[in-house]
Amino acid sequence: MVNFKTANIREILQSLKSTAGNQRFIQLIQNLYNIQFVPLTKKVLKILVIEDEEGLRESIEEYFSEAGNVCETAAGYQSAMAKINLYRYDCILLDITLPEGNGMDILKTLKENNYPDGVLIISAKNSLDDRLNGLNLGADDYLVKPFHLSELMARVSAIVRRKTFNGSNLLLFNELTIDLLAKEVKVRDVPVKLTRKEYALLLYFIANKGKVVSKNAIAEHLWGDGIDMANNFDFIYSHIKNIRKKLMEAGSNDYIQAAYGMGYKFTEQ
Amino acid sequence: MRLFAKYNRVNLITTVIVMLFTGIVYYQAISWILNNQKDNDLNVEEQEIFNYVKINHRLPQIFESNDQQITFTPAKPNSVNREYINTMYFKKWNDDNGHRQHSQQGKKEGEFEAGRGLISSVTVGDKYYKILIVESKVETEDLIRIIFFITISVILFLLLVLLIINRLILNRLWKPFYGIMNELRLFNIADNKEIPKLDTAIDEFKELNRAVLAMAAKAKYDYKDLKTFTENASHELLTPIAVINSKLDTLIQTENFSERQSKILNDLYGAVSRLNRLNQSLLLLVKIENRLLHDQEMINFRELLEEMIAQFDEIFQDKNLKVSYTLNDKEIYATRYLVEILLSNLISNAIRHNYNGGEININLTNERLVISNTGGDMALPDEKIFTRFHKSSASEGSGLGLTISRQICENFNFSLNYQFQPPFHIFTIEFK
Repeated sequence: MVNFKTANIREILQSLKSTAGNQRFIQLIQNLYNIQFVPLTKKVLKILVIEDEEGLRESIEEYFSEAGNVCETAAGYQSAMAKINLYRYDCILLDITLPEGNGMDILKTLKENNYPDGVLIISAKNSLDDRLNGLNLGADDYLVKPFHLSELMARVSAIVRRKTFNGSNLLLFNELTIDLLAKEVKVRDVPVKLTRKEYALLLYFIANKGKVVSKNAIAEHLWGDGIDMANNFDFIYSHIKNIRKKLMEAGSNDYIQAAYGMGYKFTEQ
Repeated sequence: MRLFAKYNRVNLITTVIVMLFTGIVYYQAISWILNNQKDNDLNVEEQEIFNYVKINHRLPQIFESNDQQITFTPAKPNSVNREYINTMYFKKWNDDNGHRQHSQQGKKEGEFEAGRGLISSVTVGDKYYKILIVESKVETEDLIRIIFFITISVILFLLLVLLIINRLILNRLWKPFYGIMNELRLFNIADNKEIPKLDTAIDEFKELNRAVLAMAAKAKYDYKDLKTFTENASHELLTPIAVINSKLDTLIQTENFSERQSKILNDLYGAVSRLNRLNQSLLLLVKIENRLLHDQEMINFRELLEEMIAQFDEIFQDKNLKVSYTLNDKEIYATRYLVEILLSNLISNAIRHNYNGGEININLTNERLVISNTGGDMALPDEKIFTRFHKSSASEGSGLGLTISRQICENFNFSLNYQFQPPFHIFTIEFK
């Protein structure tokens, strides 16, 4: 297998994206030479957090900055408006209940100016109307407070992936290749058969790589917060054991580590 | 006993007693008057005898007549006291022109009738006679009998009329009352339907209606107030919970925890997630009661249930539960989100209160969904389990799961009930 890893080729391929003809051309080359195109994984994310609650804003900022991303914050309507009119972000985390104005207006401004920023609404209101309203106005996702930072990160990653790679459906991590459309995982061309939950869990880990993800966060991500099986996380352990086993059998490194009995960490070693 | 029946009973008994009493008095009065009249007749007869004796100095000749018999018997002087008596009057047949039709029957010469007599005395020359004048009272008796029958008929007729009128009028009179009762029975503090104003001319009912309306309005207002409070409080709680959650997530990114610290952090996570669920449940309850979730659609219940069961698969396995289910096709018109919560709650319960290696049976038919699970040996207190914050001491749940489940069922006009058939705890949803 030939592995194209130089940035040049990636960029060329990036510039070829999105027309149907090009897709077919890429497909053809892939099939002909049995090579895997590696879409550009953007290393630096630029995030704007619009949140009036200081504690929450700081936590999000810290969590998102650590991976080398740029994370800016705005505590109120005015400063948020100033920022979105000056800079572009990969994703904007938007609290819709702000002291000086409505977050929905910020969203409207973004859409009226055709700014391409991804928008994730974080709201204390878990009402369907608000959710639909936000999504209709052009938000990419809607997350209800309280949430785990790892969940927020996973959602943001998904939005950025959709926005940046426009139709490309491959997610790469070292020797792992994940086809997001077909929901298939390969380790250097060796397919790995994962169950639906194991697959979701792997994506979750990759989005939060380098972070300790708590068992609570994992349980809520996989089963939703409706299922309260408090303090009984044995079934998470068996899921993780299975993923590790399957990946390692296919020749992958062991990326998942247990972290002090509180959760797990996906590390790049 | 209904007021109407009670009232009727008292009314009728009183009427009968009063009527009987009146009847007796009436009878006595009439008897007395008629006797008096007879006595007057007898007096007149006596006077005639006296007059006759005075003029003719002998006893008058005795004529047999229909209703009067006079006998003279010699007696010792001054041995007779003048008195009126009730006696028998022997009426001979055939000596009148067949005044009684039945006189033909039998060979008897006559019959006894009630009579009124006067014993008196007269002195003719030196002879002393006892006079006995007897008059038949048959006519009087007949009169009394007729009066008696008329009275009885009037009483019965009056009773009948009273009964009918009472029934008609009381039923109509009490109609507003039953209307109010019905409204009260249907009154639901949580829904938005008002008790209608009653159209009645009766002051008491108007007042009752007013009081009921005021009470309902007040109850609703208070309830709404409380609900708003719950909602606001829960909303306000969301942000601090979110902060705690995010701070915990941040904290565990810092390195090197001792085992003891990890344990504490784990407990903190558990507590926060419980707090969060509790809070969400409260919000959800308020929302269901406010009927704020009205995006209903046709849902394939079987498919949804299959999804839910698949969702719980790992948890079933983790507890070694034997799960069997038979699902028939069933479509319901409901809010998907709520039905998911309902199923999730019931299945979670079936797992949580089960023992390792236990059993869960799920059965869906067109009429009902039955979820039964093994668990504790004792039946749960039937109605209590559906009240807020009722839970077994061992339960890790919020204590709101079944309350929410029942609320959701009520929302869609289903019923949710519990039964214990050892060893199974059975929850049944009846679709209506």
